[in-house]
Amino acid sequence: MRRSLGRLWKHGLLLVVTVLALFPIYVMLTAAFKTQHDFLAHPWSPFFRPTLKGFDTALGDQFPIWFRNTLLLSGSAVACTLLLAALAGWGFARWSFRGRDLLLGVLVSLMVVPPVVLLVPLFVFGVDLGMISTFRLVILIYVGLMLPFSVYMLANFFRTIPPSMIEAAVIDGASSWRVFRLIVLPLSAAPLVTLAVVNLLWVWNELLIALVFLQDDSKKTLMVGITGFQSRYSLDVPVIMAGLTLATLPIVAVYVFGQRFFVRGLVSGALKGE
Amino acid sequence: MTAAPETVSLPRSPRRRRLPRPGRFEPVLWIAPALAVVVFVFGYSMVELVKTSLRYEAAWTFENFHVTWSDPTFRTALTHNGRLLLAVPVLVASALLVSVLLFEGLLGWRFHRWAVFLPFVLPIPVIGVIFGQLLQFNGLANQLLRAFGLDGLAQDWLGQPRWALWTMTGVIIWKELGFGVILFLARLLSVPADMFEAGRIDGARFFRLHRFITIPQLTNVILFYVVVEAITMVSWVFNYVYVMTNGQGGPGDATQVTELYIYQTAFQYQSPEIAAAAAVSLFGVTLVLIATFFRVQRRAGLAGDA
Amino acid sequence: MRARLGVVAVIACVAAVVLTGAGLAARAQSGAAKSSADKVNLTMWWWGEQEAAGAKAWLNETIKLYQQEHPNIAIKTVLQTTDGLIPAFKAAAAAKKGPDIQYFWGGIWSLDDAWAGNTKAISDYIPQSEVKHYLNAKEDTFDGKVWTAPWYVQPSFPVLYRKDVLAKAGVAVPTNWSQLLKSCDALNAKGITPLAGGIKDGWFGGWLYSIIGAQGITSISDVLDATTGKASFTDPKQAAWWSRLEELVQHKCWNNDINSLELYQGQQQWADGKAAMTVAAGSDVKKWVKQVGVARVGVMPMPKWGNGPYAGKLGSTSQTVGITAWTKYPQESANFIMFMHRPDRMASWFKTTGAFPADDRFNTNLITLPQQKVLFGLVTKGSPYLENFIPPELDAKAMFAQSQLLLGGNTTAAKAAAATEKTAKRIRLTQRKLIANFNKWSASYR
Repeated sequence: MRRSLGRLWKHGLLLVVTVLALFPIYVMLTAAFKTQHDFLAHPWSPFFRPTLKGFDTALGDQFPIWFRNTLLLSGSAVACTLLLAALAGWGFARWSFRGRDLLLGVLVSLMVVPPVVLLVPLFVFGVDLGMISTFRLVILIYVGLMLPFSVYMLANFFRTIPPSMIEAAVIDGASSWRVFRLIVLPLSAAPLVTLAVVNLLWVWNELLIALVFLQDDSKKTLMVGITGFQSRYSLDVPVIMAGLTLATLPIVAVYVFGQRFFVRGLVSGALKGE
Repeated sequence: MTAAPETVSLPRSPRRRRLPRPGRFEPVLWIAPALAVVVFVFGYSMVELVKTSLRYEAAWTFENFHVTWSDPTFRTALTHNGRLLLAVPVLVASALLVSVLLFEGLLGWRFHRWAVFLPFVLPIPVIGVIFGQLLQFNGLANQLLRAFGLDGLAQDWLGQPRWALWTMTGVIIWKELGFGVILFLARLLSVPADMFEAGRIDGARFFRLHRFITIPQLTNVILFYVVVEAITMVSWVFNYVYVMTNGQGGPGDATQVTELYIYQTAFQYQSPEIAAAAAVSLFGVTLVLIATFFRVQRRAGLAGDA
Repeated sequence: MRARLGVVAVIACVAAVVLTGAGLAARAQSGAAKSSADKVNLTMWWWGEQEAAGAKAWLNETIKLYQQEHPNIAIKTVLQTTDGLIPAFKAAAAAKKGPDIQYFWGGIWSLDDAWAGNTKAISDYIPQSEVKHYLNAKEDTFDGKVWTAPWYVQPSFPVLYRKDVLAKAGVAVPTNWSQLLKSCDALNAKGITPLAGGIKDGWFGGWLYSIIGAQGITSISDVLDATTGKASFTDPKQAAWWSRLEELVQHKCWNNDINSLELYQGQQQWADGKAAMTVAAGSDVKKWVKQVGVARVGVMPMPKWGNGPYAGKLGSTSQTVGITAWTKYPQESANFIMFMHRPDRMASWFKTTGAFPADDRFNTNLITLPQQKVLFGLVTKGSPYLENFIPPELDAKAMFAQSQLLLGGNTTAAKAAAATEKTAKRIRLTQRKLIANFNKWSASYR
């Protein structure tokens, strides 16, 4: 008896937390399928006549363009980050040189720098070189911002590769590049995928830099787009919610199917050698 | 020499067989590209930032700092970041509680874990818009409260300066909680079970068990989480404030934060020197956090997987 | 294993290709533009659909007609968001790259960029014989030049009232301030919200300052002088409006969620029948009348208090378009602006949006809607729109912020006025060039 009572409050608390976590998403999803009238009359009722009008309006706006831009940006930025981070991570892990730990430490500490601090000088730089509203500059900035965490993660992982494997290959006459390509990379498939997923999430959701550096209408990303979208359709909640659903769908899909990669990636930052 | 678990046979290198000795510069080659990008994005920016903050009308001067620090709005922004930091203990305690509950393996714990982590995945602009709608004075949240007769609790969450910052804090906690839960849970799952068994056999019930056995296991992770979230509260809250207050900083100055101040000063009020001075100041504050982070990492590295 | 490695390599290659391709494409585009010298590409960044519904359709139609008459000219438009209009342009100005034609609200919103050298004066490209027809051009004039071209008049800002709601409550339409306060009491007694508004995004603060504050001053130079320091925002002339706003709060005239709604959301409440009155853009009157019903809507200026020259009058300003400093085609841009003022275009504008073209050649016989007739009569005898004569930073930090606090019951009129003066003092210190320009500007109004 005592045990089930004891369990009751635990279940209850978890339930409360889950409801709080899911309620806003529930609102977003149900509102997206309602008409404006239905929404005003019954905002949180799950019973209504569903309509796709909200999505129609949202898609008719510039969602496809924003979507394409975000895809392009995320894909390129994440790919470049992975490449550079893998190379650098291996450099840190394989060789021991003077100042290595200090350099790695400083690099990793850059994770705490507020992006807004970099905004003004980078913006002036972009203006001077006419690179505002170009993807190149934004990709460069994103890569720079993602590298500290990525290098840290990969360096940590590479350190766990048994040195004996490396020795064996080296004695066999392999150059360091071959060792990297044929031994290290194949073994790193899991952390690489994880890192890709985590970084993709970050770029996808990024707002401030995209807001400042991609002002051109044709270059706007999904996040910038929906921020302006909500102010333009501020009177039509279902349309806003439909737009938000569209913006969130890809990420949530990735989360649902690739949950363990997310988890692993974020946890690795805190626990070594996952 | 032990054979590696997966023997990979390499094709013979066509060159003559020799032990390649990595020159002293080889690691540099590998690190250089990443380093170049980082040096540009961070190094160049910081140098230029400091330069801008020290110049006004082609003269070197500290006046920008004086002007910035004498701006009551800037000081308010800093205090608000400080108030956000107060949320970190709440965040940690909540995450601990939830993760421990999940760890107990109650029925449906996997679903709860999935649900709790979902907010962390959502984009902040999306969260900001939804909560902006929900928390209107006559919005959904208050409608629910009034429906249950809790009229007294139905406040103007975003519109009253008394509540606005706490509301913002609440939304940030809502999103960041999942990260902590996952961190703690992962760590707990990797601890050998017999540690807890010993405690249970001894008759320790929920609070004793967790206070004396569970939490000490988590010390390093807790520390890591505290530092990461402290950094978030100082450096990564722009998105929340910008979306939920239409870039204004809340009723009056109630939700002004340093990042927003810098953004407004640079891009709306056209005063890049003052923005730069504010940014340098903010960076100075985060240097303290950097040093702490550094130390935490060293500790975690030295302590290993205890 | 190999496959996964291959995937990584492929992704990297694709990224590289995409980046190179994008770079090459960009270079090719710019190259192509240079080679065909005849083709003129104009870009116009604008705003206005939000307050003049139908503007987008009209603009597209106008561009189509213009391109038919000038086949070598292609015009692209970008509708900006309210919060993004100015930051986007400031970024373009810093980069000296962007639109050829830019939209500006009148007064300081035009002159700020003129002073910064971001625009070319339209009076350099449009003959005086044409410019003299543009309404409210005075507020865009500095140093003898007209900097931006008025496009449409913005009656700023009428009070819209619901005849049906007032009648049902047995409340007469207030014609002066004390009647307004009494009607608030009466409506509240009947459980009806008197005035609906939304100030979460700040803009309503500037509106209120202008429609209430204008009644307290005697000349525009009063306001300009308060900014420069020759006068103070705590002077009775400048500070009285805070007391009036405080009275509205004391009589509970506003909806209880005014601090959590945005500007247009507040107006929607009125349209939904939840309030008796609201304040809306004059250019939007047609939309609201159509939504609510012609017989039900009345239009009037903010009820009169005080005896200044602007008391009881409706503010009049014009939204404008200007030519950017970096455009390669200033004359072509100017020509398109002049085309927007062609009689058939103006008639079409009025028919589509219900907003008045800022041109004294506009055929006023086209105005049939009774509310618009009233509005037109008011706006032709209008007063200046105050928000156009203070620095944007003061507007945001003082008018927006303090109004939010006052409406939420978190400050008093006296404190708000003092806070405004404090903000102004700081701006006098940090924006010395702006203040110098304000001094010069003020001289032209004395």
